[in-house]
Amino acid sequence: MECVTKIKDSAEVLMDYGSGALSAARVAEVDRHIEDCEACRQLFAAQRALWLEMDQLAAPEVSGNFDARLYARIAEEDAAPAWRRWTRRLFAPAVPVAIWKPAVSLAATCAVLTVGLMVRTPGASEKVQQQVRADHAVDIEQVADALDDLEMLSPGSAM
Amino acid sequence: MEAVAALERDAELMLRVRAGDTTSFALLLERHRTPVVHFLFRMVQNQAVAEELAQEVFLRVYRSRERYEPTAKFTTWLFRIATHLALNWIRDGKKEKGQESLNEDLIEGVERQVADQQPTVEQEMLYEVKLREVRDAIGMLPAKQRAAVVMHKYEELEYSQIARALSCSESAVKSLLFRAYETLRARLSHMAS
Ligand SMILES: [Zn+2]
Repeated sequence: MECVTKIKDSAEVLMDYGSGALSAARVAEVDRHIEDCEACRQLFAAQRALWLEMDQLAAPEVSGNFDARLYARIAEEDAAPAWRRWTRRLFAPAVPVAIWKPAVSLAATCAVLTVGLMVRTPGASEKVQQQVRADHAVDIEQVADALDDLEMLSPGSAM
Repeated sequence: MEAVAALERDAELMLRVRAGDTTSFALLLERHRTPVVHFLFRMVQNQAVAEELAQEVFLRVYRSRERYEPTAKFTTWLFRIATHLALNWIRDGKKEKGQESLNEDLIEGVERQVADQQPTVEQEMLYEVKLREVRDAIGMLPAKQRAAVVMHKYEELEYSQIARALSCSESAVKSLLFRAYETLRARLSHMAS
């Protein structure tokens, strides 16, 4: 076998050797080669060692109330008026604004009530209208994110 | 064969969700909740933020159910959304806010696991030092490299899946991964001894 550092798919061979994804035949080839090549022996050993070291980064268990929180948000969305669901879908920020707080949903409920009040009251104050306009103000980046999301959310586009 | 069966199962469930079956959504959530949260946790290194972003991932899946077509592997699609959210979160500099509490949950969790095995104080300290070093080394990688490494190492996604999640070519993914592992080998080489 030619020196692994010189072959075309050396990066893949190295990574697959480290992860254990390399076929037995190719592992045998690599093992034969590294018997005589000090540079490769060190490199492949380092990659294997790294792979094991990285196992240390365990992830904590998911919170027990994860599903309940999610379903509460889904219920909240499903209960919202259709136009609001539509604008949320289109202009949702690409990331949540903050860590979830009960205050957020309370504020959202208040906003919906405010809008409802404004729609039903012809002489709604200018202040409320400004508030609503502010709610709907979206910057360029947000629109770009939303369009990005639309593209991303069609599974076909991922192919 | 197992991968094909899994693909069919997820797509089938998602098609049922599209038809209004909430039980199928619960099953999808059950199957993918932990990998998605863990992926996000390793990306943002903060449990609360990871769970918040994961909630957003599943909300988006739910919201887009009516438009779902089983043209791509469900997992790839899911990680594409999760990656997008994580990269945006990192890009928007929200990292600093969560950084203060970085991630003591993780350290505590591992300390508990270690404590269960009744190690010596020295062993416990060594674990913690190693854990922090690995976490910091991964956290210092550029965001896209970090995403590629986390999907490759911890979620065991194929190069083609990572490529789709990151919207780049397979060769670009291999190059990202190669550079990332090179950096990690250099940063963590002293730990091997
Ligand atoms: Zn060699």
